[in-house]
Amino acid sequence: MRGYSIYLLGRLSQFVLVVFIGINIAFIVTHATPIDPVEQSIAAATQFGSTNPEAVALMRQSLKELYGLQGGLWDQYVTFWKRVSVGDFGPSLSAFPTPVRVLIARALPWTVGLLLVSTVISWILGNLLGGLAGYYRNNKVLWLAGIVAMAFHPIPYYIVAFVLLILFGFVWPVLPISGGFTMNMKPAFELTFIASLFKHSILPVLSLVLAGLGGWFMGMRSLVSNIVTEDYVTYAELGGVDSRRILASYVMRNALVPQVTGLAMSLGAIFTGAIITEQVFGYPGLGTLLVSAVHAGDYSLVLGITSVSVVAVSVAVLAVDLFYPFLDPRVRTTG
Amino acid sequence: MRVWRIIAVVTLALIGTVSVHAEESVSDLPRNETLIVENPEGTIKNAGWFNIWAINAGGQSTGLHQLALDTFWFIDPERGLDGIWDNSLAADKPLYNADFTRMTVQLRKGIYWSDGIEFSADDVVYTIQTHLKTNGLRWSAPIQINVDSISAADRYTVVFKLKKPNSRFHALFTVRWNAMWMMPKHVFEKAGDPLRFAFDPPVTLGAYVLHGYDPNGKWFIWKLRGDWQRTSIGRFGKPGPKYVVYLDPGPPDKRVIAQLNHQLDIVHDTSPEGMFTLVKQSKSSHGWFKAFPYAHPDPTLPAVIFNHQLDLFKNRDVRWALALLIDIRAVSLASYRGAATISAIGVPPTGSHPEVYHAPLEGWLREFELDTGKRRIRPYEPAVGRQIAEMNRAAMGDQIPADPIQIARAFGSGWWKADPQAAQELLEKAGFAKRADKWVTPDGKPFSIRIMVEGESRPVMTRAGSMIAQQWRQFGIDASTVVAQGNMFDRRNAGDFEVFIGWSVETWGGHPDLSFFLDSWHSQFVVPPGKPQPPRNWQRWSHPDLDRIIDRIRKTAFDDPRGLELGREYVKLTVREMPTIPLMSYNVFTAVDETHWTGYPSAEQPYANPVPNWANSRYMMVRLKPRQ
Repeated sequence: MRGYSIYLLGRLSQFVLVVFIGINIAFIVTHATPIDPVEQSIAAATQFGSTNPEAVALMRQSLKELYGLQGGLWDQYVTFWKRVSVGDFGPSLSAFPTPVRVLIARALPWTVGLLLVSTVISWILGNLLGGLAGYYRNNKVLWLAGIVAMAFHPIPYYIVAFVLLILFGFVWPVLPISGGFTMNMKPAFELTFIASLFKHSILPVLSLVLAGLGGWFMGMRSLVSNIVTEDYVTYAELGGVDSRRILASYVMRNALVPQVTGLAMSLGAIFTGAIITEQVFGYPGLGTLLVSAVHAGDYSLVLGITSVSVVAVSVAVLAVDLFYPFLDPRVRTTG
Repeated sequence: MRVWRIIAVVTLALIGTVSVHAEESVSDLPRNETLIVENPEGTIKNAGWFNIWAINAGGQSTGLHQLALDTFWFIDPERGLDGIWDNSLAADKPLYNADFTRMTVQLRKGIYWSDGIEFSADDVVYTIQTHLKTNGLRWSAPIQINVDSISAADRYTVVFKLKKPNSRFHALFTVRWNAMWMMPKHVFEKAGDPLRFAFDPPVTLGAYVLHGYDPNGKWFIWKLRGDWQRTSIGRFGKPGPKYVVYLDPGPPDKRVIAQLNHQLDIVHDTSPEGMFTLVKQSKSSHGWFKAFPYAHPDPTLPAVIFNHQLDLFKNRDVRWALALLIDIRAVSLASYRGAATISAIGVPPTGSHPEVYHAPLEGWLREFELDTGKRRIRPYEPAVGRQIAEMNRAAMGDQIPADPIQIARAFGSGWWKADPQAAQELLEKAGFAKRADKWVTPDGKPFSIRIMVEGESRPVMTRAGSMIAQQWRQFGIDASTVVAQGNMFDRRNAGDFEVFIGWSVETWGGHPDLSFFLDSWHSQFVVPPGKPQPPRNWQRWSHPDLDRIIDRIRKTAFDDPRGLELGREYVKLTVREMPTIPLMSYNVFTAVDETHWTGYPSAEQPYANPVPNWANSRYMMVRLKPRQ
């Protein structure tokens, strides 16, 4: 138990350090952007409209005061950490005065919902089919599944997404190609809304599953292919153990250990959002929010999203680290 | 095999479920009462914010400024429903005193907010006073700089006392794309800080009220007011659509798909290729021109914009040489795939301008002579528009008009004839020299030009820039494009460019007055290098003759015919000086679908601007009729 405590302390320290460094890097990068949020706001306010050059100078001064950008970088850094320590990222500069946390909280459930579901589906399907294909190597259907998975794997994601869009949005227009739910519908915990939600998520989820399936499939098939040659598997087969039991209890179970690690890492990464998916399918979420924040030079919002992402990935890594000693006792003693 | 059976059953069930909904509408709104329009702002990150007076806090062209808000006057970029000038909330045109230090506005009676309160001078006074005492509102700065005080002479008359003479003060309240909108006093005076009030739901002066919106900012639905007669647009009859939806349909490909599926009645803008696909595949889709080039020419003039604070571009012979190296026909094909409306002069070829500027100056342009140092040439080629039309005829056939007048409207008139020999003479006159097929500057350095373009965020202009760079390069100039995607505004404002493809000329379109952009070209506003340049003299050019023209315009009333003469003087000056190289109008491929609605504005029926993010697109509503 002492070994695990030392291990735990070490990992927790690492976690705090990684989060601190990660958020600091995010702060430096976002403040080094060549895009000035004040100029973006002025451009938005004066574009197309009648503008008086003297008025623009006054507007610039007023906006700097309003956005709190008049202090130096150090002042902004101190203010930022004061706010972050109480879970606040300040107001968005491209949607002033709405707080960043409100914008993130509005988009986050969509991103988490979409990516959680698609990651879990592709992980389960990929590992299941990969495991079966690795074990039943002479099965023609599984062999074909392997060909399909390998064929899909190298195709760039946006191609898969656009093909699905054209197939099911135009050639056979049975699925909605934009939005998270039907227009003029009010979000509510009702069957019609849930059905609409489900229908609008089919294409984004399908595209992500198709794009992610191949990796899990090939990884699992390769792991299983190695495990089936182990002595204990051969011994079980010779001992007359049922092949399904061998697959489930002897082979898949062992092969799943690295795949579980991969799943945890993938789940951590979902907090960055699926930018291309959201853009292509017009699906709400953090990705679209992040892109628009970058274009607007809204470093408060960019910083908010990246900080959430840094913390999420770090938590996922920490969770795997803390869970791993239970799977492999050697980690506990050497840590 | 049980697993496969389960997978098959689930798949079939899914397909069955979604097939039931095949071809259904994108909403439960009655389609024959609903107009669906693209909002080019995209997804609004702060959807529940309708306080347009707070800068950048929420969306603008979500239907908010087209259907819900109102102000004194509108100028149509085309012909208008009843002329280009419309007195909207005002009962008449602005009334100035002799030295333009006081503007009196008579308000229209019988206009009501959507909550039943009558619009009056109190609302105007409140709006102006709120902007006078609050920094950071969208129109705080122009109001604080111009207005000394405002008073209500009676319930329907307001008097603005100005800090200094301004014959164009009314432009602040005159909609081109937008203008300063009136605030409901009875709502905002109870709201506290006007910078932090969301104004959800908005109390409207326009003919529509908010019906619903997506909290994720994808769509906004507006519903016709029961008392639409009590709005300024009620004079023109009942608006056709009961519901108007403004939505974010996504990238250009998806907009095309949505309209082919008849789920998007108005595409704000798409690529030339997208427009060609729509008219080819859908009998019900068309653009501003029913045939090629389809697009609506906006009163905006994309040009080659030089940075005049760089020594390289201070000599007009150099600027003229670069203009004569451009083959505008190739630029038209590269940028708009031939669907460009060219302009040789510094006003866009749209609205009233072809009649009041291009045609009357045609003779002067033909006679215009340029001294190359070795000879005098007449660089104007009047047939370029027709040549572009003929080049397109090979591929588009009958889509290209035969009538010269129609050709001029669609493709423009003349432009500068590409003349590398004259360009060489002009450069030599300026002290440049050619060494081993490469040009060098008078101080012996390679003649190098970087053209800033926006990249994928504005592909048409980027393609124009690439073609121009190629033409200059073929002549021996080290020219190339640099992409400033995302930070074009910052670099443009800071003067951090050599040349860029963009625009510094935007006009009213329908009205010949040029002060909308020209006033900001006065030398008093040109800042030192590195300082942010206010709109719109991005080229940072100044000229004493131009200052004299602007000073005279400032002392001339808006509708005074002398203003037009001064506008023509500006055109002649810019032809002589070539401070920017005008290319063409900003053509917008607005595509409309007549499956559900008819009566859209078009080149044949130019009663309004069809581009739906312009606030004056509201006039379209009263002409639209349901197909069924």
